[in-house]
Amino acid sequence: MKNYFLKTTSVAPLVIFRIGLGAMLFIGILRFWFNGWIEGLYITPKYFFPYYGFEYIVPLGSYTYILFFICGLSALFVAVGFYYRLSIVTLFLSFTYIELIDKTTYLNHYYFVSMICFLMIFMPAHVYFSIDAYRNSTLRANKIPQWCIDSIKLFVCLLYFCAGLAKINSDWLLHAIPLKIWLPARNDMPVIGFLFNYSWIHFLFSWFGCLYDLSIPFLLWNKGTRVVAYIFVILFHVLTSMLFPIGMFPYIMILTALIFFPVEFHQRIIQFIQRFIPGSRNPIESDATFIYSKVQQYFVKGIIFTFFVVQLVVPFRFICYPGELFWTEQGYRFSWRVMLMEKAGYAEFTVKDASGKYLIVNNEEFLTKQQEKMMATQPDMILQYAHILADYYSVHGFKDPMVFADVYVALNGRLGKAMVDTSVDLAKEKESFGHKSWIILYNE
Amino acid sequence: MRFVSVKLLALLCLTALTISCKNDPKHPIPPAGTDSDRGLMLTNIADNIVIPAYANFNAKLTIMITKSDAFIANPNPTTLTEYRTAWKDAYIAWQKVALFDFGPALDYTLSSFMNVYPTNVTTINANIASGTASLETFASYPAQGFPALDYLLNGIAATDADIVTLYTTDADATKRKAYLLQLTNQMRTKFDVVNNAWNGSYRNTFVASTGTGLYSSTSLMVNGIVFYYERYLRSGKFGIPSGAMVNGTLLPGSVEAYYTKDIAKTLAQTTHQAFVDFFNGKGFTTGIEGGSLKTYLNSLNAKDATTQVLLSETINTQFDVVNAKLALLSGEDLSNEVSTNNAAMIAVYTELQKAVRMLKVDMTSATSITITYADNDGD
Repeated sequence: MKNYFLKTTSVAPLVIFRIGLGAMLFIGILRFWFNGWIEGLYITPKYFFPYYGFEYIVPLGSYTYILFFICGLSALFVAVGFYYRLSIVTLFLSFTYIELIDKTTYLNHYYFVSMICFLMIFMPAHVYFSIDAYRNSTLRANKIPQWCIDSIKLFVCLLYFCAGLAKINSDWLLHAIPLKIWLPARNDMPVIGFLFNYSWIHFLFSWFGCLYDLSIPFLLWNKGTRVVAYIFVILFHVLTSMLFPIGMFPYIMILTALIFFPVEFHQRIIQFIQRFIPGSRNPIESDATFIYSKVQQYFVKGIIFTFFVVQLVVPFRFICYPGELFWTEQGYRFSWRVMLMEKAGYAEFTVKDASGKYLIVNNEEFLTKQQEKMMATQPDMILQYAHILADYYSVHGFKDPMVFADVYVALNGRLGKAMVDTSVDLAKEKESFGHKSWIILYNE
Repeated sequence: MRFVSVKLLALLCLTALTISCKNDPKHPIPPAGTDSDRGLMLTNIADNIVIPAYANFNAKLTIMITKSDAFIANPNPTTLTEYRTAWKDAYIAWQKVALFDFGPALDYTLSSFMNVYPTNVTTINANIASGTASLETFASYPAQGFPALDYLLNGIAATDADIVTLYTTDADATKRKAYLLQLTNQMRTKFDVVNNAWNGSYRNTFVASTGTGLYSSTSLMVNGIVFYYERYLRSGKFGIPSGAMVNGTLLPGSVEAYYTKDIAKTLAQTTHQAFVDFFNGKGFTTGIEGGSLKTYLNSLNAKDATTQVLLSETINTQFDVVNAKLALLSGEDLSNEVSTNNAAMIAVYTELQKAVRMLKVDMTSATSITITYADNDGD
């Protein structure tokens, strides 16, 4: 073990990863900006759904554009390695801040980006082929501790493996649900569309998806299977990006998987890029090895160790809650459950008070379509919304308003059912990490 | 090592193939070219439902406008009666097209100009007095269309003779007649834009957009008709007047066709039946069922996992329940129903609400259509 921590390797894979990550996020921010999503997702809504414990994260109104600007700029700086430490910390903080504003926009790959940015804060990704290294010769090194690169690989493995484990359930494997629901909706795709009408294709995709997630980290890590595995990575992610509205995720994963490739491969990419940069030096600038100081080393190793312990525990926290996870979603997020279920809901709220006054809420007056859609299937958001309503109506004609929710949810093609006990006044229920007793558990 | 790994990879793929090939042969999904082809559904809906239903409404509207012109030229009890009859026929025909709240009708917000009720008598009187009021403003929506005509033909005075007087010898008679003309001109103009679009290039646009994404025809159509069912049928016709949605406050004046008293139940039944026929793909003139949301849902084999009942059957059964509750309404005068027999109104509302859930949740989920923009990794 001690020997392992003394091992060093070329910095090249980490450098390529830094450039790729920064560039991808920069493009991602531009895409968000030009699609009008900053306005649509963070400025237009009147109310937001912050995360439990992060309620102090509030939207910034029109200043949100500045936040995105800072985020995009720091991504660009990370890519070119300019004031790297400052830039990656800024990138991590600004990106994470944006993601924490509203649960509605939660996506596993945003969480992945946040976490990978966090890891990259502690990585010496700027000691080579960066503006920092160009300007400061004492910084230059072309060898770094091997565990730096391995920790990124490990994180990627964990992600895929958890995603695969989550697919081992009867709906996915024995009924090919939700792909059986989603694929026929794409049957007008050119060339291959007609295939999506066939049941065996749904099963093929389901089983392939599950085995892919479970095995791809090992196949990538193993030299003999790496190239084949990478072809699969590309095919798999390109196909998913054509089939489903999952944005940048496929491209981020295609890029991330490159980290498994050997040093020479990355060295060649660097040489290739250098051709376009006039006056850039020979890549072999230094034989130095980047070494963390003793204090740094304890600190960084401690953080990375803690990081992985948390990452191992968090996806399995759902075991602590009663009931069907897909139904209650208690412990669903931050667990690499990607494209796992087809869930739709309809939530109708009644506000009442002791005088007998009542009204049925028009959700459109409070929420955007996207927020309403997400809220209607996720109990913690239902509770937050009930409190938004209680606060609003307590100053709009109701005395100590009570809020009742009638929520009808369909999960994975089963006929819809009631999800919330309609006799419970949600205005009196508090958010916590505990089980929400007002959820009607799913019995099959 | 290298070989072992390659073999392992091959083995994994083979396993996947083998297992996936022995899937349930009992429920094969029909291949494209049959019911799972959204293009066929859209074609049937466009050619056999929407376009003929609009043509029918167009004919009734034309007759109504002719009768209106006759009444304006010579207001008397006979022309008034004929105008009322034509107005009713056109109003009933409107109930068969109002649900097409997608495509041109949505783009041009046709329903805002045709059927916003309760009508606003104050605004109508102000518009008549001014003689130059714009009908394009938000504030003027409740002062035009069928509900405004309802007031002007049925509610403006107590007896037919008094009504005719207001259009003949009354000081504002000329202005009132001018407003009647303005109203029918507006209905003509607004409807023609939509009707011409369907008879022009939009039909092909609609049929060709076979995807399920955000702006695809299937998505627009499902969102449009479900919104209609929820907002205009459930809330507008029953939820609001019955007080089911606010404090139990009865609003008998908020029913559709408030002034005429003898048509509201028929309007509600007509629009509900039109919706049922739309769902089942029943040709407007032919009466023959074709590609529809029902056949599409069946082709997807959408059914409840526990009971194995087809979703389309579950939905149709609920439609039957709604129809039964509608039949139980004691008379055409729904404002009277609100005042004297509101439980029957609430009963209709409650059953409509159950249907809304099925349409909005079960059907939308089964068809996997996109409702919102932004990325999604599967909830």
